[in-house]
Amino acid sequence: MPTLTLERDFDAAPEKVFDYVSKTEHLLKWWGPEGVFLSEHQLAFDRKGPWLSVMQNDAGQRFKVSGHVTHVDPPHSIGFTWAWHDENDVRGVESHVTIKLVPAQNGGTRMQLNHVDLPDESAANHEQGWTSSLRKLTRLLDA
Amino acid sequence: MTDLVTTFSALGDPTRLAIVERLMAEGALSAGELQDIADISAPAISRHLKVLRQAGLITQTVDKQRRIYSVQPGAMQTISTWTLSHQEFWNGSLDRLAAALKQE
Repeated sequence: MPTLTLERDFDAAPEKVFDYVSKTEHLLKWWGPEGVFLSEHQLAFDRKGPWLSVMQNDAGQRFKVSGHVTHVDPPHSIGFTWAWHDENDVRGVESHVTIKLVPAQNGGTRMQLNHVDLPDESAANHEQGWTSSLRKLTRLLDA
Repeated sequence: MTDLVTTFSALGDPTRLAIVERLMAEGALSAGELQDIADISAPAISRHLKVLRQAGLITQTVDKQRRIYSVQPGAMQTISTWTLSHQEFWNGSLDRLAAALKQE
């Protein structure tokens, strides 16, 4: 099972970073990459329980992901489960996200994000993504 | 603006497509870590990496004596219907988190 590990350093103190990664008002400022907007959400990692987000891009694609917050330990760590839903709203393979915040020398924070138990994306989603991209391109070129 | 024809012709090879997909899913990897993608020699993998680099699809950085490869985000936007990968989600989101923290 593939694992994704990311590390980021922030100037802000762990308490502030924790607020930003756990509270709804702050999560809404950054959840999702550039180019997608949140069309539906239940985002709060400051308490145990369910969460979900629906992201959409300009091309009209819809990405739904949901899970359960499994642990909250301010200002050190958060854990939640994660699974994409398909176009029929069937929830896929469940993976696990852990966000750890470690105080840095300069008063800042080092964030360690681990996303484990990931399904093999290169075999599934990506191939579909590519296939549909190529089909779209072929249609554009044929038009 | 990346040239679509160059992008797609670079990806019109199963080994190179597999390399890009692996980098999308797992982030930055060294040439050695990409070796098991296909049953071909290390120089052959290097040649594929060079084609992908010249097409602007991946970037190369040097960490000590190792060459590390990662997907070039700009090139990926060219293909707007790319499935949202975990790598893409988290990197994009954390960039925005860093910007939001700085704004205060």
